[in-house]
Amino acid sequence: MKFSKITVHNLNLFYGKKQALIDNTMDLEANKITALIGPSGCGKSTFLRTLNRMNDLINNVKISGTVKIDDVDIYGKNVDVVELRKRVGMIFQKSNPFPKSVYENVAYGPRIHGINNKGKLDEIIELTLKKSALWNEVKDRLNDSALGLSGGQQQRLCIARALAVNPEILLMDEPASALDPISTEKIEELIFELKNNLTIVIVTHNLQQAARVSDKCAFFMLGKIVEYTNTRKMFTNPDNEKTLNYVTGKFG
Amino acid sequence: MYAYLEAELDKLKTRLIKMGTLVEEQIEFAIKTIFEENLELGKIVIDRDDKIDKFDIKIDKLCQKIFAIGQPVATDLRLLMSSLSINKDLERMGDIAVSIVERAEHLAGHTDLLKKIRLEEMSQKVLVMINKTINSFINNDPDLALEIIKSDAVIDEMDREIFNMIINEMIENPSLIKPGAHTLLLLRYLERLADHSTNISEEVIFLVNANIIKHRKKLDEYLQKHAPELLSGTQTDSEKTEGQPNLPDT
Repeated sequence: MKFSKITVHNLNLFYGKKQALIDNTMDLEANKITALIGPSGCGKSTFLRTLNRMNDLINNVKISGTVKIDDVDIYGKNVDVVELRKRVGMIFQKSNPFPKSVYENVAYGPRIHGINNKGKLDEIIELTLKKSALWNEVKDRLNDSALGLSGGQQQRLCIARALAVNPEILLMDEPASALDPISTEKIEELIFELKNNLTIVIVTHNLQQAARVSDKCAFFMLGKIVEYTNTRKMFTNPDNEKTLNYVTGKFG
Repeated sequence: MYAYLEAELDKLKTRLIKMGTLVEEQIEFAIKTIFEENLELGKIVIDRDDKIDKFDIKIDKLCQKIFAIGQPVATDLRLLMSSLSINKDLERMGDIAVSIVERAEHLAGHTDLLKKIRLEEMSQKVLVMINKTINSFINNDPDLALEIIKSDAVIDEMDREIFNMIINEMIENPSLIKPGAHTLLLLRYLERLADHSTNISEEVIFLVNANIIKHRKKLDEYLQKHAPELLSGTQTDSEKTEGQPNLPDT
């Protein structure tokens, strides 16, 4: 049965006086990949960041409306933001491994959540690197610096780092936009496999990528969701003319 | 990038329209070849078939290029998909025009028979249907396309009646067996032309409304929604030719 992992209701967000998100409501299904698309500055990355309160780190941000994960408002008073970000991992456009070894990058999350047993950590690291389709490429260089990996490998390492704390949701902000086509394909295959256990929300400028990997797709324009529907419908017969013009490439 | 895609899609549509109008003229000439016994027109039809085949290949290649380079979606994607299908139907219609012309020498001197059994009337109806089909594609007109789908039922009804008339003529006058056999083929060609027109009309509806109506169940669902009065007027291919032998297309 379908059920909503994330429920967003009447969400508004202001950067100072500028309103970046306008009254958005959407349900994101569990174990599905939802793509957020739209022209630059339309609010899709801002929307993504509201899902694990990353906007809290920016000055002068005001938010109204609700964002619920498993029916609990993540902007509620008693919410532990560190715990929230453990449940809702995030991957950014530019890979950002710590200047540490491959092993330490992945071990970092479990350690700060209290796992220090070497055997247990080894197990988590092997499992997570396998889940991230990186194990075969790095198993002989776990103690080498992560900065020596290729761009695509660094991005998969960041995904491994996020997976190491067993998140339920993964937010991805243009995760493959800085990568070559082969690395992009590996990331896309990985995203597809991860959805068996995770709910994934991905922001992408690459419409073909949205069409390839996502189950549902939301088109944003000027801070508002214009259309939110099945990806197949979005790319074959969208209801809204603005969506049609965007997906066919007439603007954006 | 979209400007490029738009220009290529325009080129595609223009080519299909040119091909469509040429096919329409080929069929008109082919019918005149038979009913006016004008063999000169028949020669033109045969000579120009090569032109239609060239259009067919050019359109296929252009679609392939647009798919590969433009990666079209939504309306653009539907235009490409329907163009491929319409191209195939037009090419077959061109072949049928040649097949009709090839009946001319066998039917020479029998135009009275053809008129008596209403075959000329049927051919004029088919011509009108083809003309409307091309127009529905040019103008992206799903209402006109639906009208064509409706008129196919009239052609099918005539097909059944004329089939029986030809058989009766042959029974009554065995000297008509040979021209009668060619008349049966001509009848089948006209019926097939109407079917190809219907196929193209279905593609026009898909192109404009994104509704797939090319099989009975889907067509009924569409008619239920858009024109319930037509529901009883359409038939499947097997219903259309019930009791008739399977004659070759060309």
